[in-house]
Amino acid sequence: MQFLYFDPGLGAMIVQAIVAAVAGVLLFTKNIVYKIKIIFGIKAKEDVTDSIDIDDNTSTSNDD
Amino acid sequence: MTTLVHQMMIKNNTHEASFRDPSGSLFYDQDVLRRSIQPIYFSQYVALKERGFFDSLIQKKLLIPHTETSVSYEEIIITPEKIPFVTNPYEWSFEQYKQAALLTLKIQKYALSKGFILKDASAYNITFHKGKPILIDTLSFDFYKENTPWRAYKQFITHFLGPLVLSKYHGAEMLKMMQTYIDGLPVQLISSLLPSKTRLSSILYPNIHLLAKLEHKYNNDYKNEAKSGNLSKKAHENILTSLYDYISKLKQKKQSEWVDYYSKTNYNSEAFLNKKKLVKDWILQLETNSLIDLGGNDGTFARTVIEHVSNILVTDIDSNAIDLNYKQVRENKELNLLPFVCDILQPSAGIGFCNTERESLIKRLINFSPDVTLALALIHHLTLSGNVPFEKSAAFFALFSKNLIIEFPKREDSWVESLLIRKREFINHFDFYDQDNFETKFGIYFILIHKVRIEGTHRILYLYKKK
Repeated sequence: MQFLYFDPGLGAMIVQAIVAAVAGVLLFTKNIVYKIKIIFGIKAKEDVTDSIDIDDNTSTSNDD
Repeated sequence: MTTLVHQMMIKNNTHEASFRDPSGSLFYDQDVLRRSIQPIYFSQYVALKERGFFDSLIQKKLLIPHTETSVSYEEIIITPEKIPFVTNPYEWSFEQYKQAALLTLKIQKYALSKGFILKDASAYNITFHKGKPILIDTLSFDFYKENTPWRAYKQFITHFLGPLVLSKYHGAEMLKMMQTYIDGLPVQLISSLLPSKTRLSSILYPNIHLLAKLEHKYNNDYKNEAKSGNLSKKAHENILTSLYDYISKLKQKKQSEWVDYYSKTNYNSEAFLNKKKLVKDWILQLETNSLIDLGGNDGTFARTVIEHVSNILVTDIDSNAIDLNYKQVRENKELNLLPFVCDILQPSAGIGFCNTERESLIKRLINFSPDVTLALALIHHLTLSGNVPFEKSAAFFALFSKNLIIEFPKREDSWVESLLIRKREFINHFDFYDQDNFETKFGIYFILIHKVRIEGTHRILYLYKKK
């Protein structure tokens, strides 16, 4: 049973396929640019923002 | 019989913010806030618990810890860790709001990897506790069904992305719109308030403008559920990661009045140190456990006692000052200082159903009942910018303060002079602004304990005890 107590919005459900497609392209190009920078030895600017991914092995992930 | 009594108790003491989700509700068992879980949510709860998902979220400090209090066929009761003071989204600075949004995405992505989803993404499910944003709605999770879109996606946009992006273009004041729209800003409104150049943004066009368009198109389409489409897990993750990347780089449009306040103060550094020392001594003498610094800027004064006071709130009208304060909280990993935005002339009202779903600031302050209220360099703004008579400001402080440390700048003080000059031909209307009047009116509600002139200034520091 999909249980939901508020209306998720049909438009919002449909749009996610498009959002994801655009996001896929964005993340793909970001990766390529990153790799090219490495090849040309351009030091990627230190990523000050942390990552969305939570490491299962560390104790805290909300410490940045 | 006991069950009946128990049921009645629940009915009478339900937390006002907790009725939207039929999975369970919060209630007060005397002074302790507990969460009742209904059978409709048992399977989710058991899975979340037995697969160790709750444990790992709690261990990673992403979810408020809880203990299981009782289990029966009708109801499971858990008791979450107590949060001394709950701030609402419209009281957060830009940076705080941003961190709350990022936390939500982080948790959703993590949940997805464990076979769960966040079934809602309300900004009210997050609050700040021990220096960090934390998820406080333990029942926010549901099972992930392969290839389904994220049902809370729109909520994330209207509660988080929308307000943040509007602040990028129009300043942090936009975050206060959440006070009017408890269910999140309508997406058509967000879309219409954004500059047209955002239609070229590969994040903002699909996530906001196109969403607004499709929501409008399918607004009255109730039958077409089949169309809601598939979304692979990878695609789902891509949405989350791209939103995360975008939000973590967001900056607000700045417009600050107070941030450099201390570099513009009208007294020398020695006087400043004198004032700091006086305030600190008095706070220590009172053996203070909880403190609120009203108009506390970036928390400079509150930090002088941070090692001695277990719960400190610092408010300011300026969201940028709160931002600076919050950055220090993060850098110094301070657990006991909570900054939030507050306009004392218009504190957050009680909003939502019955005006009680989100409590007014005054009600929360009365419950918090701080041992000491600090009001430094504040009364002249209340009186001369806000035109609040002394008696009314005294009554305001008396509502929630046990002890009040208040600074009174005399008419000779240059800040007061400049505020008075701005009254122009009405300057005589403010002849009442003097020390005698101040003392008489505050004497109605408070007993004077100490009174000291701050060396090198035209200011007097008072310690009052509530009558």
